[in-house]
Amino acid sequence: MEKQVALVACNGGCRSDSCSYGCIGCAACVSVCPADAIAINDCGVAEVDESLCLGCGACADACPQEIIHLHDPNCPMVVKCSNRDPGKVARTACQVSCIGCGICEKVCPSGAAKVADDLSSIDESLCLSCGMCAVKCPRHAIYDLRGVLTAKR
Amino acid sequence: MATFFVNGQAVTAKKNQTLLRFLRDELQLTSVKDGCSEGACGACTVLIDGETCRACVPKTDALEGRHVITVEGLSDFEKKLYTYAYGEAGAVQCGFCIPGMVLCTKALLDKVEDPTEEQMRYAIRNNYCRCTGYVKIIKAIELAAQLKKAGVIPEPSEADWKLGSSVHRLDVEEKVLGYGKYPDDWYLPGMTYGSAVRSQYPRARVLGIDISKAKALPGVVAVLTAEDIPGENKVGHIKHDQYSLIPVGGLTHWLGDPIALVVAEDQETLEKAKKLVKVTYEPLPAVHGPEEAKEPDAPRVFDEEENNVQAYKHVSRGDATGAIARSKYVISKHFETPWTEHAFLEPECAVAYRDEDGYVRVLSTDQSSHTTLHECKILLGSDKVRVQNQLVGGGFGGKEDMTVQHHAALITHLTGRAVKVKLSRAESLLIHPKRHPFWMDFTIGCDENGIIQGVKASVYSDTGAFASLGGPVLERACTHASGPYNYQNFEIEGTAYYTNNPPAGAFRGFGVTQTCFAIESLLNEMAERIGISPWEIRYRNAIRPGQELPNGQIVGPETGLVETLEAIKPYYDAAVAAGKPVGLASAMKNSGVGVGLPDWGRCKLIVEDDAKVHIYAGASCIGQGLGTVLVQMVVTNTPLQRDDIVYERSNTWIAPDSGDSSGSRQTLITGEACRRACEKLTEALKTRTLQELNGEVFYGEYLAKTDKLGADVPHPVSHVAYGYATQMCVLDRKTGKIESMVAVHDVGKAVNPKSCEGQIEGGVVMSMGYALREQYPIDDNCKPIDKFGKLGLFRAHEIPEIKAIVVDKPGLDVACGAIGIGEITSIPTAPAIAEAYYQLDGQRRTKLPLSDTPYERRGR
Repeated sequence: MEKQVALVACNGGCRSDSCSYGCIGCAACVSVCPADAIAINDCGVAEVDESLCLGCGACADACPQEIIHLHDPNCPMVVKCSNRDPGKVARTACQVSCIGCGICEKVCPSGAAKVADDLSSIDESLCLSCGMCAVKCPRHAIYDLRGVLTAKR
Repeated sequence: MATFFVNGQAVTAKKNQTLLRFLRDELQLTSVKDGCSEGACGACTVLIDGETCRACVPKTDALEGRHVITVEGLSDFEKKLYTYAYGEAGAVQCGFCIPGMVLCTKALLDKVEDPTEEQMRYAIRNNYCRCTGYVKIIKAIELAAQLKKAGVIPEPSEADWKLGSSVHRLDVEEKVLGYGKYPDDWYLPGMTYGSAVRSQYPRARVLGIDISKAKALPGVVAVLTAEDIPGENKVGHIKHDQYSLIPVGGLTHWLGDPIALVVAEDQETLEKAKKLVKVTYEPLPAVHGPEEAKEPDAPRVFDEEENNVQAYKHVSRGDATGAIARSKYVISKHFETPWTEHAFLEPECAVAYRDEDGYVRVLSTDQSSHTTLHECKILLGSDKVRVQNQLVGGGFGGKEDMTVQHHAALITHLTGRAVKVKLSRAESLLIHPKRHPFWMDFTIGCDENGIIQGVKASVYSDTGAFASLGGPVLERACTHASGPYNYQNFEIEGTAYYTNNPPAGAFRGFGVTQTCFAIESLLNEMAERIGISPWEIRYRNAIRPGQELPNGQIVGPETGLVETLEAIKPYYDAAVAAGKPVGLASAMKNSGVGVGLPDWGRCKLIVEDDAKVHIYAGASCIGQGLGTVLVQMVVTNTPLQRDDIVYERSNTWIAPDSGDSSGSRQTLITGEACRRACEKLTEALKTRTLQELNGEVFYGEYLAKTDKLGADVPHPVSHVAYGYATQMCVLDRKTGKIESMVAVHDVGKAVNPKSCEGQIEGGVVMSMGYALREQYPIDDNCKPIDKFGKLGLFRAHEIPEIKAIVVDKPGLDVACGAIGIGEITSIPTAPAIAEAYYQLDGQRRTKLPLSDTPYERRGR
């Protein structure tokens, strides 16, 4: 489907300054959202309500960290991390960071999950939404946005 | 340990395992099908808290408090609703994907009362179906939405079971509600699990097999090697060159060659024990393809053979060379087509046990129970075998060979225990024979009016590690390479080479899918050269009743190629007039084995204690709907009604051998045998009632008599009948994607028009994959590298509009005029698509899958 929605690729597991990639809670996205679809959650990071999001992309443009992108709402399996540091560094930066271990790539049945620059990403045109990556991710960096195969957050 | 709810009942999973294993192995909820256990296919889809999930993904420990729904847990209204909607729409073929599709339907309709078509496509887009092309499943969702809203379920729209009526298939309910049994759905008391240890090298000498450690593992029942085989080690469809187990000293032929069979009390022990079998090898250089195979000093794939030529065919009539030399227009081109994986949704599985009479009973998923019987008997050196077909989750040619059946039979024969032998999806991708890749050089000569003067061709194929049906596939590729046209100068030679790649064998289209791409592409180019349309060149050359095909056969009054061209013309003209890129291609395909081979249809109608007529034919329903066809035959040809008739699945001890479900033959050949049995039954019913006929058997048989290839007669009858088709492809100029496909098929007499449409839609989508995306890459170690989810099969949200048109043309004097449609649906698709892309961008493409289209897969 053509409609896309915004996704904040950070899960806010660190609550510290040690990750330079993640959401800083500046709320620039919140202030530009025309649909009140984005808010700072109790982890201190921005989170999108996909049912309200218009997919306009204003938040993505406003984000100083460049960690918001548009994605297909029919693909609930998402990588909620933007940390591109090598695994060792990423691991210490946050409890739920992607360390680029490649398990997602290995278990993905369709070649959708790939690791590049120490960070996982999912090609939604290939994704079968099986959630194997989310279930097997040792860092809980990949989420089922429906809250079925992983906890809601 | 976790406690959660399944269909409303609280359950506790003590062992942490995938939800799929728990539902199937512990709760015996076998509607949840195990199609891959990799997260790819979608056959195990269940609802968790109302959302669709594959049961093979989550572990039970993660499900505490969750609510899981399978089709067994639908309400009575929902059960009726989905059974009706899927039946009325004609959405059920092999049925293996259907429970998953039904749950996707429910998940959507529980949230959206009036879904758009796009929403319906997206609801099932993560679930693969290889039979239907999704068209009728989407129709079923639409219908279910309407009926759910109305709250009332009507009677089927067509209730008369005579030929020509689109009645609901007789197997809809068992497939929608998931209680119909495929072999994997059997859980017998004391059942063991068997699996083969396979070669580590595509070509190696086996120096030793040490089974001692595996045998010593507690829970291991037996470890069998070639020494344990009581009969002949080598089996095979025609040529017996497929080793059941490679002996010490023997050569391995591909990575799927089995070396030892391990049998254990449970699946976990089985996997552990397989790792304990130690095989020592002398690795040898492998043959990676025909180019290597044909070298004079190439390694030999078989110790037993002098070279790597598996089959050679030469077909010649008239003077092709001379006719081409005298032609005004001549075009020569080289074409290539790839390996293709059948990707049926149900992986191979067989269950065997010793029955009450001491026979080894094999419950199989295959394309002929009698072929399975024959090959098992060879292996066991015993006649005490019985085979019974279960539901077959798709075949498409890929279930014609022995994969697990013979191993299951051997285990039960030697251990006396019941056993299940099932291939993992990865094994399935490696083991069953694939569609042959072909390399083809074609030359066509035409006069100034586009009338074909002659065609000359040379082709070769990679038939891999054993013959399977490599010879007949090559033969059919050659005999049909002429196309369905009226000319008499034709020459082709073909060679199939053994290599150490996975075996190639039967695949819907049986060689014709390959050579049709070449000849039809050339014809399209020729039309442009001459300055006429692709439609016109076909209309001018089309074979018409009474004319002589390039193989010498004079075709009968049922020949309907012209009718397919005429039926497609309005669509073709409209697309051309609208300035759209459009491509067209035609094809013919034999119905029946033909070329002088004994091709018997046999059927028994037995009146049993329930005062009903039971249909017994040793012919597999592999999803195409043979059972429904035969019941419609009986209703048409006797005074009986639907409720008087019971269709029995094929077995080998009551049902007479009616040949393989292959060569689009069952509707015609077994259909005619059934019709002949009906004549006898009808005669008996003139004086007696069904009650009075209890125990009587009415037998019909039909030999489809044909002449051998190259028979020294003026007009050899190669096949008793041919189906004809014309398909076209329209592209969207903006996106470069397919906007619509139109497929017109001459079937003689459509037994069940909706089923025919379903075959067409499924065949078209399957060959869209062949034309545009599907590949089966093999690495330097002769290993296929892709998983099921990476094959490139089309998904529901990607398919264009597909218009299936069934043309009836009477004239065939057997089977009430019905001609099989199974294969031809996939044949003209690829060249039609290739021509449409030429019309879009001016690039002639001669290799499949086509390059430079939006469907091309990145990173290849």
